[in-house]
Formats: sequence, structure tokens, C-alpha cells
Amino acid sequence: MKRFLNAVLVAGVGFLVFHATLVPVYAASGDGRSQAAQSPSGAAPDKQGAESYANHCAICHGEQREGILPAFPPLVGIKRQLTDQQITDLVHKGKGRMPGFPKLQDDELTALERYLASPGLSAPEMASGASDNSSGAHSSGLAEAGGALFHQNCAFCHGRDTMGGETGPDLTRSKLVQADVAGDKISEVVRDGRPEKKMPAFNFSSQELLSLSAFIHAQATKAASMKGGRRGVDASDLQTGNVAMGKQYFNGAGTCAKCHSPTGDLAGIATRYEGLQLEERMLYPRGAKSHVTVTLPSGQKLTGTVAYLDEFVVGMRDADGTYRSWPVSRVKYVVDSPVNAHVDLFSKYTDADIHNLMAYLQTLR
Amino acid sequence: MKFLKNVFVVVASAMVSASPYSLPAQNVDATMLLKPPADSWPSYHGDYSGKRHSKLTQITPQNVNRLTLAWAFQTEHTATIKSSPILVDGILYFTLPDNLWAVDARSGQQLWHYTYPPNKGDHIGQRGVAIYKDWIYFTSPDAHLISLNAKDGTVRWIVQIADVEKGYWTTMAPLIVGNHVIVGVGGDMDNLQTFIRSVDPETGKTQWQWDVTPPAGTPNTATGGTTWMAGTYDPDLNLIYWGTGNPTPVLTGSTRPGDNLYTGSIVALNPDTGKLVWAFQPSPHDTHDWDAVETPVLVDGVFHGQQRKMLMQASRNGYFFVLDRTNGKNLLTVPFGPVNWTLGVDKKGQPIPNPAKEPAPDGRLIAPDEGGLTNFRSPSFDPHTGLFIVDAHPSWSIYFAKPADGTYGWAGADYGLWGKGVIEAIDYQTGKIRWSHEVGPGGSGSGVLTTDSGLTFTGDAHGNFLALDTANGKTLWHAGSGGSIASSPITYELDGQQYLLTSGGGVLFAWKLSDTSR
Repeated sequence: MKRFLNAVLVAGVGFLVFHATLVPVYAASGDGRSQAAQSPSGAAPDKQGAESYANHCAICHGEQREGILPAFPPLVGIKRQLTDQQITDLVHKGKGRMPGFPKLQDDELTALERYLASPGLSAPEMASGASDNSSGAHSSGLAEAGGALFHQNCAFCHGRDTMGGETGPDLTRSKLVQADVAGDKISEVVRDGRPEKKMPAFNFSSQELLSLSAFIHAQATKAASMKGGRRGVDASDLQTGNVAMGKQYFNGAGTCAKCHSPTGDLAGIATRYEGLQLEERMLYPRGAKSHVTVTLPSGQKLTGTVAYLDEFVVGMRDADGTYRSWPVSRVKYVVDSPVNAHVDLFSKYTDADIHNLMAYLQTLR
Repeated sequence: MKFLKNVFVVVASAMVSASPYSLPAQNVDATMLLKPPADSWPSYHGDYSGKRHSKLTQITPQNVNRLTLAWAFQTEHTATIKSSPILVDGILYFTLPDNLWAVDARSGQQLWHYTYPPNKGDHIGQRGVAIYKDWIYFTSPDAHLISLNAKDGTVRWIVQIADVEKGYWTTMAPLIVGNHVIVGVGGDMDNLQTFIRSVDPETGKTQWQWDVTPPAGTPNTATGGTTWMAGTYDPDLNLIYWGTGNPTPVLTGSTRPGDNLYTGSIVALNPDTGKLVWAFQPSPHDTHDWDAVETPVLVDGVFHGQQRKMLMQASRNGYFFVLDRTNGKNLLTVPFGPVNWTLGVDKKGQPIPNPAKEPAPDGRLIAPDEGGLTNFRSPSFDPHTGLFIVDAHPSWSIYFAKPADGTYGWAGADYGLWGKGVIEAIDYQTGKIRWSHEVGPGGSGSGVLTTDSGLTFTGDAHGNFLALDTANGKTLWHAGSGGSIASSPITYELDGQQYLLTSGGGVLFAWKLSDTSR
């Protein structure tokens, strides 16, 4: 028996050694959830850091530290956002959904932190020459350096070309970017972040912020000329209608006056909304509430706004703000959606009607 | 000696049981693709006809209310699954952009997971893979075709389909016909010439390429017409049918007068040579981003008393087309929801775009919206009822284009105002909607699958999977996925059990009847 157990032990060690090799990028990763075996002692620190990352962090933060947005942030360039001590604390204690790894210490921790400081896989060379550039003479070099920084730290949210990504807005159409002069406004946002909008703060140097701003401005200029992405609509584009005809349509064929009043609910509408936003809301106001009356089996009637409705469940918020729901099969309910009048008009408008209405509404200031 | 022998025994058994490499052979060949057995779904559409209609009858309108969860596979990604899984030899293969999973269809456990490295391509979606013999074919966002070993996901080769730096991307599940792996490209943010290409399954080398338009820079012609969905195939006629996308520049037609062939078209090509045999244009001179890449569904049946080989498409621009697929002649053209952009239909059966409804500086109200009256998710054709069932999206939008927007790429802006989802069952001989089933504000996003027992599987805008009675559209079963549905269901039989596979968000769900589960 003992010999057999020895045999198992030898086989087991051999098996573990066989599986200890790092998986190259282009190959399948086996069962991604299994713990990779400890590497043989004496592995180089970079390799150890990469292995530590692969074992503990990659499942959430991505195999290339690219993150899985919006829940798991990218870690490329994390040293810009956090100090070493902050990183150590995070790794040990975790935060929110991130678990802590209190046993990650000493050599492994040092190696991991060194790995986290290394540049990302696909990022172009960090232009260390940026700090040598005088801002005037080498502005294109500055933008290029900013581009490298942008790709590593900003592109995941704002898109590689700054024209918007999954969770970040198009910077080329940003009023703040347009008003920015040599990075004065952009720097503030980058340094402080926008926590209410889930944008982190970044600890860049003044020179780095200058290069980032140069890149963003270069992209905005490019966007204004030969570029393929979506364009925009300015308020000045929407001034082709006739006010008098719009007023006539409002009170007549448009049936708007049945629900709306220029001195009532629409008083000052043109100060609250302008341009495309006003026209979109005029045609269909998103977020308009529908009302529902629910009759319970007892005969009792309850009223409120529709909070949820599918084939199976009706959900209502009453005047107190209490949410209640019922299986549709157990109650009777009647929904009143005044906003449907907007949908009914779609097939009736001419484009001239829309432009005229827009002209009229813009007088309601 | 006995010690070493024991080592050998232990190692050998450990290798066989614990190694991920000991899987049954995948051996998908032309025969299997032509006549997929019940325990398979070997290609994106399931079969070459694109009907997405299954002969399986274990799940019926009477017992579907006993459908229960067999297993769920969580990708743990936040991206929404858009792929149709394929099932071969008990293993499912499905995708997200840059990601390919092999999952045991019985246990729902992962066998392997391949990740393509981070890249610049548009990660807008991934429709799934193709499989041939032991090899999987997978397209990447940066327009490469990867061939992987189906057993373990190791890469055999990677070839470039197009240059991502120019603005190309790829998302489609390749179509395998004979010894041809046929791929298409995406990319309408730039004025690019696009194509359908056939490559050798062993090496990835180009066999032929068919270009959709003349080269970029040809005066007064369009570029574009991306080929981003897998087509269908008629083995008797030996024709592949492929839809092409909208022309570029997208929202302005000023630099591309005329019909802009062959953008917004359904083309019939010889799969061995890539030669064009016929073309029909659902969207001549499109200026609203309306592709014609929706599934070209192949149906043999009676049309107005005459036996016909037909091709049906519910197109993005709002029209339902029935064609004779031997020669492309039009049999029927009818809108399947609100459309307001045409002056009517011409003698060829093609819509006539109204110039007054082209995008303008002060905006034009357009039905449907840019997402279209339907999009890439599959419709289904049920032969017993003669119903073409489609996830429709009645919708309205405003479209803008002004000279300052230029003539490159999107060249304008469009804004959806309102839309909803409706599952419509269209009588293919008349275009009349026999029944419709509302599925919620915004639109559903689920494709449709029908089965011989009279069931229609689809979903609603709230992430509910639905089983409907094909005869009248009434709901017979539902289950909430908690995510948005952007894929088309598949079904297969395994170990005498019929499975339905659906996806919501980043999770794949397998369903079966409860009285045989344990």
C-alpha cells in the first residue's frame, strides 16, 4: 500500500509540474476557474507578478488588466490613481464586490505591485520624452504622448478616438472641452474625477495633463473635419418653421391644446429645453408617467402610476410612493397613458408641421 | 518495477480523467451540414435554409408549461450575448466579442474558454462560430479569422480578413459550404469597399472574393454594403444567398446618385466561384442605415397555386419580400409595419425612396428608426401554418444631414423617438399579419424559433423568454432571464431529451421538460 501511495505522490508531483507552465496569450486557457499550480521556486519576479495577477485578479480585472466594464475597472495605469500603500490596502482588505487577499504578502505582493506598474500589453510606448517637450514647438508630439496616455487610461470608457465609449461620453462634442484652454478645465475633471458619474480621479503630472488635453483637442478638431462617426445637430439647424402656423397647428389639427397650455404646463418650456432636446421631447417626452387603476378581487380600487408592466406582472406606485405589484391574472387593471397621443400623431405629422410647432414652442420662454 | 508501473498507471489514468483533452471527436462534414441530425445545431442558422424551424416534437403546446431550467452558464461578462450557440457531439460553442466558450451540453460546465487579445476593432457583437471537421472558425472584432481546434481551443492559424486600421471589423458566424469558409465584413463608419470572401478551411487562404461595390474613390458611386450576417444556401441550385448592408456615406446620398448596387441587396452567388448569379435590392439608394442582411429564408412551397422555390426576407427598412430564388424575381413586397419613406414600389418589386424623406438639415420624421423594423435576430418560418414569424419594431425617428457633416462615414445624425416590440406572424402569400403579440416598449431583441409541435419560442422587451402557440400567438410559458435578450433560440435533442437554449444578458440558459429531470 505504501509503495502505491508513493507512486501516487510521484505521479501527483509530476502532474503538477506538467501543468505549471503559463498559458500563452493565443491559446485556450483550460478551465479558467481552476487554481494554477504554484510555479517552481526561483521564478523571475516579473513572471511571479504576472502569475499572481493571473491567479488572483484576472478573473475580474481581465487577463490583460483591461477590466470588464462597467463592473470591474481596468487596472492598466492603476499607479496613476493609487499610491502603493493604497494598492496594498485594497489588495488586503478588498472593497465592495472585490474580496480581500490578506495572505498576499512579502515577495508575492511586491512582485504583483511591480507587475501592476508595468505598461499594458497593447499600449504604445509611453512617451517619456513628453516631459522634455516645450509645449509650443512640439505640440504634435505632445498630442501623441497624450494619445498613449489616453489609450491606456481613458479609452475604455471614452473610446479610443475620444468619441465616446460604452460608459463615457463623446469628448469631441463636450461643452467643457470646447471651452477648455490648454487643459485648464480638462485637468480639473481628470484630477478630481466625476464620482457621481463613476469616473475615477487620476494622479497625472501637469505635463501629462497638458499632453492629454492636447490629444483631446486634436481629436475634437479631427472630428470636425474628415471623420466617420456620428455628427450632431445644433439649435440653429432647427429654425426653419413658421411661428404662426405652429400656433395654429398646436390649437388645431395637432390637438396639442387638448392636454397642453402655453401659459400652463408649457410656460417657459423653451428656457428649460432647447434645440434638439426640445424637439425630441415635443415629439415624444420620454419618462412621461402612465396611470393605472387596479381592481382587487375584493372590489377595492387602487390608483397610482405604472412602475412596471409586462404580460405577467403589473406594478404600481401609489401617492405615498409605496410600490405594489400583482400577477396580472389575479387583478383587473386599466392603464391611462396620455403620452400615447404623441405616438398617434407620428403618422399624421408632415415635416413642415414639426418645424412650425418647434418655431412656436421656442417662443414660450 | 512495480512502483514504476504504479506510477505509470496513476499518471495515465490521471491524464485521461483530469486532462481537458480527452473529448470525443468533432467531425462535422458536408453531409452533417446538409442534413443536421436531431442531436445537433451545427451552424448559426441550424441548417442551410435559415427557417430556424425544428422537427423536434417532444416539447408541445400541452406540456411546455412544464419547461424547467436544466442549467445556466454564466459568462460573467456584462456584454449581452448575441450569438447562436452551435451544438456538435454534445458540446456547445458560443461567443461574445473576443471570447469563445466550449460547454458540455449535458452538465453546462465549461470545457475551455478562448480569449482573443485586446484589439482596436468595434466590439459591437459576435454572432457565433462555424465548425468543420475538427476545426472551429471564429471572427474577431479586428477583422481576423481564427481557426481553432474544437477539442481544446488551441489556435491553428489566424488570417486577416481586412485591415482594422481602415475601419473594418467582423462579427459574423462564418458559413461553411463544401470546402469553402465564407466570411463577410462590417465597417460603415468609413467609406470602405466591402466584400464576401471564401477561404480554404485548411489554410485560411483566399479562394475567391466578391466585391459589393466598385472601389472606394470611384466617382458618383457608393461604398459600403457590409456583409455582416451569415447567408443561406440551396444545395440543389448550388447558390448562396447573402444580404448586404447600407451604403456609405450613410445618411447622405449626394455623392452616390442612383441605386448604389449592390448595397442594401440580396445577392445570389455561386459558392465555388463567387460569381454573381442574380441580385434583388430591398433598399435602393438607402440613406437611413437600413441593411438588407436579415436572414434570407429559403422555403419550398406553394405561392398563389404554383409550387415555388422561394426566398423570404423581412428587411430592416420595413418591407417583407418574397422572391423566386432561382432567378431573383419578385413575388410579393408588402410593409410589415409603419413605413413613411417611400413613393411606392416599382415594377421590380423594389421600394422607391422618397427624396423628401432623405435626411435633411432641419430633420425628417422617419418610420422605422435606424435600428429598423427588424434587425439581425432571426425570424422563423413554420411550414405547417405558412407563417413567417418575425420580431418587429414599429418605431419613429428623426434623421439629420447637412453639408457641414461632410460625405464620409456616418455623415449625419439620427435620433430614435419611440418604438415598441411586436412578434408578427405574416402569411407569406399575402403579407397579411395573421396574429401579433405585443412584447413591450423599446422593442424585444429576441429572435424566433418554431417547432413542428406548433410552438414559437421568442422573448419580450423585459427579458422574459416566451413560448407561444404558433397557431394564434398566445403565451403558453415564460421565464424571466433578468437580462436583455439579443439572440435567437436554438433547440436540439440529447439523450432522448429536447433542449431549448436561450440567452439573456451574459447568461446562457438550457431548458427541458421537468418530468424527466432529476
